[in-house]
Amino acid sequence: MKRDNRESSGGGGECSSMQNGKAKMWEEEQQQQQGGMDELLAALGYKVRASDMADVAQKLEQLEMVMGSAQEEGISHLASDTVHYDPTDLYSWVQSMLTELNPEPNNSMDPSYLLMDNVGGVQASSNILNINPSRVFNDDSEYDLRAIPGIAAYPQAQAQAQDKVEEEMESGNKRLKASPIESGESTRPVVLVDSQETGVRLVHALMACAEAVQQENLKLADALVKHVGILAASQAGAMRKVAYYFAQALARRIYGIYPEETLDSSFSELLHMHFYESCPYLKFAHFTANQAILEAFATAARVHVIDFGLKQGMQWPALMQALALRPGGPPTFRLTGIGPPQSDNTDSLQQVGWKLAQLAQDIGVQFEFRGFVCTSLADLDPTMLEIRPGEAVAVNSVFELHRMLSRPGSIDKVLHTVKKINPKIVTMVEQEANHNGPLFLDRFTEALHYYSSLFDSLEGSSSSTSLGSPSPTQDLLMSELYLGRQICNVVAYENENRVERHETLAQWRGRMASSGFDPVHLGSNAFKQASMLLALFAGGDGYRVEENNGCLMLGWHTRPLIATSAWKLPSPDS
Amino acid sequence: MKRSLGSGDGRGEEDRKMKKVKEVENEDVEGLARFDDNLLFEVLKHVDARTLAMAGCVNKQWHKTAQDERLWELICTKQWANTGCGEQQLRSVVLALGGFRRLHALYLFPLSNPQTSSPWGPTMPRVMPSKPLRLGKDEVHLSLSLLSIRYYEKMNFNNRTTR
Repeated sequence: MKRDNRESSGGGGECSSMQNGKAKMWEEEQQQQQGGMDELLAALGYKVRASDMADVAQKLEQLEMVMGSAQEEGISHLASDTVHYDPTDLYSWVQSMLTELNPEPNNSMDPSYLLMDNVGGVQASSNILNINPSRVFNDDSEYDLRAIPGIAAYPQAQAQAQDKVEEEMESGNKRLKASPIESGESTRPVVLVDSQETGVRLVHALMACAEAVQQENLKLADALVKHVGILAASQAGAMRKVAYYFAQALARRIYGIYPEETLDSSFSELLHMHFYESCPYLKFAHFTANQAILEAFATAARVHVIDFGLKQGMQWPALMQALALRPGGPPTFRLTGIGPPQSDNTDSLQQVGWKLAQLAQDIGVQFEFRGFVCTSLADLDPTMLEIRPGEAVAVNSVFELHRMLSRPGSIDKVLHTVKKINPKIVTMVEQEANHNGPLFLDRFTEALHYYSSLFDSLEGSSSSTSLGSPSPTQDLLMSELYLGRQICNVVAYENENRVERHETLAQWRGRMASSGFDPVHLGSNAFKQASMLLALFAGGDGYRVEENNGCLMLGWHTRPLIATSAWKLPSPDS
Repeated sequence: MKRSLGSGDGRGEEDRKMKKVKEVENEDVEGLARFDDNLLFEVLKHVDARTLAMAGCVNKQWHKTAQDERLWELICTKQWANTGCGEQQLRSVVLALGGFRRLHALYLFPLSNPQTSSPWGPTMPRVMPSKPLRLGKDEVHLSLSLLSIRYYEKMNFNNRTTR
């Protein structure tokens, strides 16, 4: 019997067994069925006709877009001029919202509207009413017009409605309205703002601000940046932090405040260490590069590694240990470490060298160290490095080569130097993102996505603690600061000062190939070790190791974030 | 194990009596405490890692014996496939970097029992592993690398000059 009723009304809901036997509910259900309401949504308190569902969905999408574009136009009237509608009647709510934000309601929607089933007469008229909130009382004319088949009459009414809506909007006062649906229905004014929505608005605001900056509309950019700050406060976790760093960088760019680059190098190294501890990216980089170097050094009796960015030398203990355990005994190991000039007069390169020498002595590896201080890798000269005949050379660069792209010609000079060194292998680890496009907005967008993923992954592994390290939150904060400085450089700086010029693996492949290098495939050992390393890092289940044509990439969920690749020079006899 | 408890008439008396009881136990044929260090060592050579670790919690003598690097070396190498390098070579490197016991506790154990607590993971409720995974070359190399990094990091605090 229930089934018959439903079929006659043409609704599409499923038979919910829980309504069996309850007389009161039965009545309600009958009512709803007659109105063709979707039962599932009704259980949640929303009244939507099953036949309108597709329409409502489409309009909700429209609404989201329109809200976003309203932000871009710089009209944040949602903040100052709010009208709260009762969303229980989703269809009319969506309509009200759309007309509020977009004075030109989409006329293409109307034909489908006319085709609507005219089952619940009362419902239909009130639906129309709610397109035009101000014309609540003018139902007769609307209804009559609607009764005339054909589109011709309808747009006219819409045009009238349009004017009225525009008038309403210009009044610009805070209004609290209950949409007049069924009589006797308690209309609950509901506040629209929820954090997911503000998240979307936050991203849109950031993008709008970046676009304003690109168009050099600094006044608008300034207003938007402040707006971003407000929105960011309502978010939690990674999103808030990312928004904060990007907003700060944008503000720097807008106001032209560039703090002096006298970043204390010991502070930089501290941040770098914390980043090393708190997440697996650097460890991954080191392990995969070491594996490639080991394989290249398989039988050499004397080996020489040139590290383009020595920092704390964290990569080399593992390599030295592996060399120490090489079947047949370790080779003599020479390390040349290159680093930037220190702001204080300490020779940090030498200190690192001493530590590594101590380790080498403890494990029985003959070790020699040389440190080079230079502001740019392009200043390096192969003769300075004193390559000895008969030694196998490896060149290692972890997040260093992209800096060379800030000055024209530098990268070519560096690659030329590398070729003169004639290494057995060149290992390279770079960020997997294009932050070096010609347009500011493109760079901004890319960076926003990239650093959002990166911050997400930090958040994900922040619950883990590592033995013997300071509290995890300190590591996390320092790592975020470390990344924040990169963000600032990508967004706020230009020309030679913009050194964080990340490029994708594909771009680097092209560059290396055109410079005359051949790719070396990283073996399955590297892949396995990397996967195991991540497994130990149980704090982040989202990390993924991917193999990409012989290169290895580490990413967070579906987004690759860093890529390791290895290169060699073609052998002269081929 | 039968104990003969003396009825003490005072604290001091009781202590002396307890000591006496212990001596009595040592002579007791059933007492495991009868084992001297060497015998204990020989026995512990044949146990697995878990048992060895637990044995170290029994008493001072057992603790001292269970810490012996040679026992842990046996445990480690038992689990490994052939690493390719010489025994002495491996021994000298691992001992220099912190020893087999640490190697096992910090890296080999978590790697072969992935669902239990790991150095970096949050401590999860202990799940009895069905069977520890046999460790291959890669696990061994990874563990050794991590051990060396840890050793290097610890060196920080000893050798760092004040700025």
